[in-house]
Amino acid sequence: MDAQMDTGSLAGTRRWSVVLGVLSALALLPGLWMIFFYVPTEAEMGVVQRIFYVHLPSALVAYLAFGIVALCSLGYLWLRDERLDAIAVCAAELGIVFTTAVLTTGPLWGKIAWGAWWVWDARLSFTLLLWFIYVGYFILRGATENPERGKRFAAILGIVGAVDIPLIHMSVQWFRSQHPKPVVLKPEGPTAAPEMVQTLLVNMLAFMLLFFSLLLARYVVERLSRRIEAARMLRAA
Amino acid sequence: MSGFLAGAWAVARKDLMLEARSRERFVSMATFAVLVAIVFSFALDASVRARSIAGAMIWVTILFSGTLGLGRSFAAEREAEVLTGILVSPIPRGALFLGKFLANLAVVLAVEAVIFPVYGIFFGLDYGAGALGLVLTVVLGTIGFMALGTLFSAMAAHTRMGDSLLPVLLLPLLIPVVIFAASATQRLLIGRPLGEVQGSLRMLLAFDLVFLFVCTASFGAVVEE
Repeated sequence: MDAQMDTGSLAGTRRWSVVLGVLSALALLPGLWMIFFYVPTEAEMGVVQRIFYVHLPSALVAYLAFGIVALCSLGYLWLRDERLDAIAVCAAELGIVFTTAVLTTGPLWGKIAWGAWWVWDARLSFTLLLWFIYVGYFILRGATENPERGKRFAAILGIVGAVDIPLIHMSVQWFRSQHPKPVVLKPEGPTAAPEMVQTLLVNMLAFMLLFFSLLLARYVVERLSRRIEAARMLRAA
Repeated sequence: MSGFLAGAWAVARKDLMLEARSRERFVSMATFAVLVAIVFSFALDASVRARSIAGAMIWVTILFSGTLGLGRSFAAEREAEVLTGILVSPIPRGALFLGKFLANLAVVLAVEAVIFPVYGIFFGLDYGAGALGLVLTVVLGTIGFMALGTLFSAMAAHTRMGDSLLPVLLLPLLIPVVIFAASATQRLLIGRPLGEVQGSLRMLLAFDLVFLFVCTASFGAVVEE
C-alpha cells in the first residue's frame, strides 16, 4: 500500500515537472527572441555581450542547485529520509550541468572581451572549484562499496562543501578581479539599459522554471530506478 | 569533557606509538618530499629565482606528501579490524576523530621539520628573520589541512579507489588554506615583517576552527556501520 501511495505521489511530481517544463518553454522562447532581436547591442563589448543573458541565469541556477544539495544533505543525515538523498543527487547533477554551462559561456565571452579563454580571476577560479567539488561528490558516491554508506559520505561532502564554498569565495575575492562588476543585481538598483534588465529577468525566470522542471523529472527517474534496483536485489536474494 | 579529551589522547597515542615503532609513514613521506624538491630543481628554469616562488613550492610539497601520509591514516583500522574495537569502546566518535587528527598532525609536522631545512639548503632560503611567523603559518595551515584530510581519509578508506580518491576530494576543498598559507609563507620568506601576514594568519585560524568543528561533528556519520 505504501508503495502504491508513493507511486501516486510520483505521478503527481511527474505532472508538475511537465507543467513547469511547458512554462519554461513559454518563457525561453521570448527570452531567446529578446536576446537576439530585442536587446540593444552593448556599446563596449559588442554582440558577444549577449552571451551574458545565458551566462548569469546559469550561474544563479547552479548556486541554487548547490544550496539545495547542502540543505537536503543536512536533512538526510538528520532524518535518514531516502527522498532527501534522492533530491540532493538530482540537484547536484543539475548543478554540475549548469556550472558547465557557466564555464563554457564564460570563456567564449572572455576570448573576445579579454583576449584570453581563461584568467585566474576570483569568480572564475571559484566556479571551477565548485565544479570539481561536486564532481568529487559523484566519484565518492560511486566508489563507496556500501550504497548506504555512499549516501552518507556524499551528504557529508555536500555539507563540508557548503561550508567551504563561502570560504573559497571569500578567499579568492582577495585577489584582483577582472570579472565585470554587477550591473543589474546590486543594492542601489540596476544601471543597465531597461531592455537589458528585462531580457535578463525573462531569461532568469525561464532558467529557474527549466531547473525545477528538470529537477522534478530527474527525481522521478531516480526514485523509480532505485525501486527497480531494490526489486532486483530482492529477487537475487 | 575530560573523558572526551582522554579518549582523543588514547587514540592519538596508539597511532603515534605504532608510527614510532615502524616509522613507515614518516620515512616514506619525508623521502617523497625531498624527491619533490629535487624534481622542482630540475623542472625549474635556471633563470627563475627559487626564492621568489619558494612559498608555492613548499606548500605543494606539504600538500602532496601530507596527502600521501593521510592515505595510510586509517590503514590499521581497516586491515586489522581495529575500528570495530574502537567503536565498541566507550570513546565518543568526535574524540576518535580528534585523536586521529592529532596523530596525523604530529606526523605531518615532523615531515615539515624535514621539508624546511631541505628547501633551505637546496634553494638557498634564509628563515632567520621570519622564523616565528613561519612556524605559526605552517602550524595553522597544517591544522586545517589535517582536519579535512582526516575526515576524507576515513571516507576514502571505505571506497574501491582508496588512496587515489583522496586528493581528488581534498584539493578543491583545501584551496582557502593553500591561498593564505602559501602567500603568508612567501611574504615571510622574502623578509616582509610579521605584521604584514597577520590578516592571513587570522584567516587560517578561522578556517581551522570551522573545519575542526564541522569535521568533528560529521565524523559520526562516517564510521557508523
